[in-house]
Amino acid sequence: MEEKLAKNMSENDCVDCKMGSLPSCAPLAFPYVPVQGKNPQKYSSENALTRGTLFPGLDLPFMNDPNVSNPYAGTPLGELMALDFMIDELNLYLDTHSDDTEAFSMLQSAIKLFEEGKEKYVSIYGPLTISDLKNSSSYNWLMSPWPWQYEERK
Amino acid sequence: MFVYEKKLQFPVRIKNTNPRLAALIISQYGGPDGELGASLRYLSQRYTMPYPELMGLLTDIGTEELGHLEIIGTIVHQLTRNLSEEQIKAGGFDAYFIDHTAGVFPQFASGTPWTAATMAVTGDTIADLTEDLAAEQKARVTYDNILRLSDDPDVNNVIRFLREREIVHFQRFGEALRKTQDKLGKKNIYAINPSFDK
Repeated sequence: MEEKLAKNMSENDCVDCKMGSLPSCAPLAFPYVPVQGKNPQKYSSENALTRGTLFPGLDLPFMNDPNVSNPYAGTPLGELMALDFMIDELNLYLDTHSDDTEAFSMLQSAIKLFEEGKEKYVSIYGPLTISDLKNSSSYNWLMSPWPWQYEERK
Repeated sequence: MFVYEKKLQFPVRIKNTNPRLAALIISQYGGPDGELGASLRYLSQRYTMPYPELMGLLTDIGTEELGHLEIIGTIVHQLTRNLSEEQIKAGGFDAYFIDHTAGVFPQFASGTPWTAATMAVTGDTIADLTEDLAAEQKARVTYDNILRLSDDPDVNNVIRFLREREIVHFQRFGEALRKTQDKLGKKNIYAINPSFDK
């Protein structure tokens, strides 16, 4: 009973999303980064893209000065980028937390939303990948600007 | 196989050109702790990784770093578009201009061309992952220093995003080391190199 209480207490000490877990009896001469807890707190997809991470616990900005918006926020491409970023971030998280079923279903719904959004986007603005040409009436791979080109605000 | 996607991971839209700043930021393109070295380091180390989690993580982070290389190239390109003669002569960019005009070339801010000597592939699981932790920290410092010198909000937006990615990658490489330790057992972590000794 006492042991159980002690365990609960030490877990409660770590409820902050910036805390992870270390091994209880670690070998010497080996570096450790705490493992991020399962089902961590998450930002919305747009906020995640702006901040550079989906996870508030890993959000550690220089001089405590984070991004508050990104230049494409609220645009169709911005929405697509935000969903794609969520996929990137959950992909890396799941590489080291493959048994987090909630994160996995979140990844799956992000992929579905991304694919739906992409289909709509491609029909208006042109292909993002060469396979998006499957429904094009002409070879329009070269029509839209390349990502590095500066665009005047329309 | 890689498939090109015609969009950036984070949007770049820089209103004002600034060649002097471009000549500094080029270091994250081909400098000692830049994105070219990052992507090649991870995408090269992955071949001898012993466990699926590690092969996956190095492939996925290495791929993301290629996307960051494209973001940095875009920043440099947009900072150097439509340059006036005065801007070129104003200093800070003239030496770069002589060799590359407004082309994007992988070099250190100090002018040394990108070199594989800035990265390591040891073929040892623990040594490679520990190098990766250090690499993420060094890239973070470079982004910190860019933020100290740049006062362009359009640039800093992107730099803050990229800097935060280094912190997330550091976390994942740390977790990868934990996975490695779990597989090796606690008694003598250095008894073998799991990348080589089967």
